[in-house]
Amino acid sequence: MDPSGRLVIDFNGMNLESFQSRVMPAKNKLFRFALRFLGNEEEAKDVVQEVLIRVWKGREQMNEVQNWEAWCMRITKNLSLDRIKAMARKQTHPIEEGYSVHQGTLSPHESTELHESMNRISQFIAALPEKQRQVIHLRDIEGYSYNEICEILELDMNQVKVNLFRARNAVREKLTKINAYGL
Amino acid sequence: MDSNRINELLKKYWSCEASLEEEAELREIFKAGNVPDELKETAPLFQYFEENKKKSLNDMSFEGRVMEKIHSPAKRGHISKLVYNSMRIAAGLVVVLAATWFIRNEIRSSNPPEVVDTYDDPKVAFEETKKALMMISKSFGTAEEHAKKINLFNEAQEEIQKKKETKL
Repeated sequence: MDPSGRLVIDFNGMNLESFQSRVMPAKNKLFRFALRFLGNEEEAKDVVQEVLIRVWKGREQMNEVQNWEAWCMRITKNLSLDRIKAMARKQTHPIEEGYSVHQGTLSPHESTELHESMNRISQFIAALPEKQRQVIHLRDIEGYSYNEICEILELDMNQVKVNLFRARNAVREKLTKINAYGL
Repeated sequence: MDSNRINELLKKYWSCEASLEEEAELREIFKAGNVPDELKETAPLFQYFEENKKKSLNDMSFEGRVMEKIHSPAKRGHISKLVYNSMRIAAGLVVVLAATWFIRNEIRSSNPPEVVDTYDDPKVAFEETKKALMMISKSFGTAEEHAKKINLFNEAQEEIQKKKETKL
């Protein structure tokens, strides 16, 4: 671990085993990020697979990469965008699967309500412009620092903050509307 | 939880001024579920984030597939590259050889190496043949003359030898 608590990997001495035990666990983060773009699990899996193979092939150069995880996320973003372009597919629609809400204290009525509002939030976020969607995902779901988000999305700090601000407030506004008027 | 603290954190959150630690604290508060009623509307948002964090690549064979791809393609790639390159060179050679063979055939058929008839008129041909034969016979004639000279020497030599024998 380096001072920022990030996992540091010696890529020069990397063998299959350390690849599997140290790089592979990032697959879920990469998958969620790719899924945010593609909205299709199979496509997202393909992208993650390609990213991991690239890491393995480029393992000798990886030591020069300061933050390998951000690097992987950036490749995931680029490959996902390429894929979207290649398939000329318009923005796919939110992951509509249900959320398992395990809260024993809630009554069936409350639990359905919660489930519904979470589905709504999923739709709100899916409806955001692409950059805002990426930023809010990286910050609020994956918990990346602003610097890391800059690195991943190749944006400057100001753009990242503006996009996050707009994304959060757009969602907030919609949430308030629902609660005020039940829309 | 102190509702003032929650409000302060939320205010920072909405204005994007909260640090990662503060945002984590906020998430923990909402996760625990003990939020004042007036903030209930915000709760689903944080719950949504939590639920999404749990989403994982739910495929047991995924790692195996990646590891398999990592193992094999390099070697197969080398061999197939080698085969591909040598096939390219072979194809090039075949084209060059075929081209030279055709060109050679073409050249051979356009100027055949055998003797060509030189005269169309039989009379002229006869005259020419006669000339050639005459030339040969003339050469034969001169050769005969030279042979006669040599004979003269021979006869003279023989006579001298005869004279020497009679004297002895």
